[in-house]
Amino acid sequence: MHAGKHYYDEIFHYNGEWDMPSCCGLRIIVGDKRTTVIVTELYQDNPGSSVASSGRSLAEQICEAKGIDFNAMIYIECNPDMHSKLSFYQETCYEVQFYDDKCPTYRLLNEQETYELFKT
Amino acid sequence: MMRLKLIYPKWNKLERQTPFNLPPHGPVAFAASLPSHVEVSFTDENVETIDFDEPCDIVAVSMMLSTQAKRGWYIADEYRRRDKRVIFGGIATMLHARETLEHADSVFLGESEGRMEEVIKDAENGRLKKIYNYMIQPPSVELIGPARRDLYKKELYNHKGVQMVDLFHASRGCRFSCYPCAVAYLGGRRFRPRPIDKVVEELATIDNNRLFIVDNSLAQNKEWEKELFRAMIPFKKKWISHTIEDDPEILDLAAQAGGWYVYQAIYDTSDYIRERIRRYHDHGFGVEGTILLGLDNQTEDDIKRLIDFLHDIDLDLAEFTILTPFPHTKAYDDMLREGRIFDFDWDNYNAGRVVYQPRNISAERLQELYEYAWTSFYGSESQELMMFRLLYSVVLREMKEGTYRPRNRELIKKSFGRDISRKVLG
Repeated sequence: MHAGKHYYDEIFHYNGEWDMPSCCGLRIIVGDKRTTVIVTELYQDNPGSSVASSGRSLAEQICEAKGIDFNAMIYIECNPDMHSKLSFYQETCYEVQFYDDKCPTYRLLNEQETYELFKT
Repeated sequence: MMRLKLIYPKWNKLERQTPFNLPPHGPVAFAASLPSHVEVSFTDENVETIDFDEPCDIVAVSMMLSTQAKRGWYIADEYRRRDKRVIFGGIATMLHARETLEHADSVFLGESEGRMEEVIKDAENGRLKKIYNYMIQPPSVELIGPARRDLYKKELYNHKGVQMVDLFHASRGCRFSCYPCAVAYLGGRRFRPRPIDKVVEELATIDNNRLFIVDNSLAQNKEWEKELFRAMIPFKKKWISHTIEDDPEILDLAAQAGGWYVYQAIYDTSDYIRERIRRYHDHGFGVEGTILLGLDNQTEDDIKRLIDFLHDIDLDLAEFTILTPFPHTKAYDDMLREGRIFDFDWDNYNAGRVVYQPRNISAERLQELYEYAWTSFYGSESQELMMFRLLYSVVLREMKEGTYRPRNRELIKKSFGRDISRKVLG
């Protein structure tokens, strides 16, 4: 099973934990004031660290590669629907807030918010 | 000559499991990758005591389980207090690398084959690096040689005269990406089967007629699997393994090759599972169901129904575990995002303790259901008795084939090196 291509526009390659070559799906939606960055887990198609475990490091690598202002970014981590009979692989998306002095926080997006991200 | 002290830290076994100690595979696979001038002394702390004052030039701590991590760190601290340099390796080191660094002179990440010449040379020159990171470059599987089983004190892996199985692996890596499992992260997301001639070479070195093939799943490459089983037939060894391909030809070959007992995940009460178990039984395999409790799709009723189902399908043995969100698994990522993990004490990551908030029931209730599952399944017959019945079936097969090795009478009053104390009822 592979993540559907409607989740992303490109595959982004990054250094995961311990510099493991890793990859995720990437979609960037440029807004008037803020840029939305959506990173999608690729599971078995990702040879290295997950999006979740790479966290801020991945966000920074994307910002540097794509010229995005880290502080003016909406950052979304997406678990795609893998059409698995197991419920653990259903679609879920989180908006992530990174902080300098504490662990990131996650907000689960509702169905409408998730739909809006991938409707195109 | 360099003297290397190799340590495998102890951990607390699950209360409900029959406490068998199998000879650990990771340390002796690692030892096989060391240069020939390194003299190795091995201590498995599960069956013997560490002599911290035994002379050595360097200490290597090999950790497989998260529940070994804190003990491994303690051992390292003790050695470092004695001015010994300590290097860590093994899969639990890879899972807990950052914390392990605080207790180590060096941490080795990845697979050791082809890498130890460099590490030992650095150690000899006093230039040991803080991290050797080979996670991104797994060695060729051709380099994996026979494990150093000569390092085992065999009498310590013997229970009442019965020698425990030897552990053996035929592949590395995994192409699956299962929710609670970190193997794909640790060994790579590509299945890497060992060449059959290398497998045969290693099998020929193992002086034991019973094996445990520890590969997570052999069911990843049908043609290789068939070739493997064909090559194993002449050895006439009896073996246990995890999942075997659900294919009549492969199951038949596996049985001919000596397979007698498999671990099979039981995750629902479907006809598929029922038929899967029946097909194993039809080919002469005993089945130990591995049942994971606490998944997000399970309610209390689901868990109870699952336990009842196990009786219906005539499982030979069952092992219940509680879902544990090990680092670098999807389970960990999901629960961390949801803020559901409430216990980060790695000693409790033993798959018998609830360390997270389950989705549909309380943590306390899940713990009770875990106890209930063991009690319910083994209510009429103990685990030890059911194991004995399985063992008896394999003894009969060995006798028929002329490969049976009688119990060692000299060790009949010993269990894993310790005297058996008999309770006298007065």
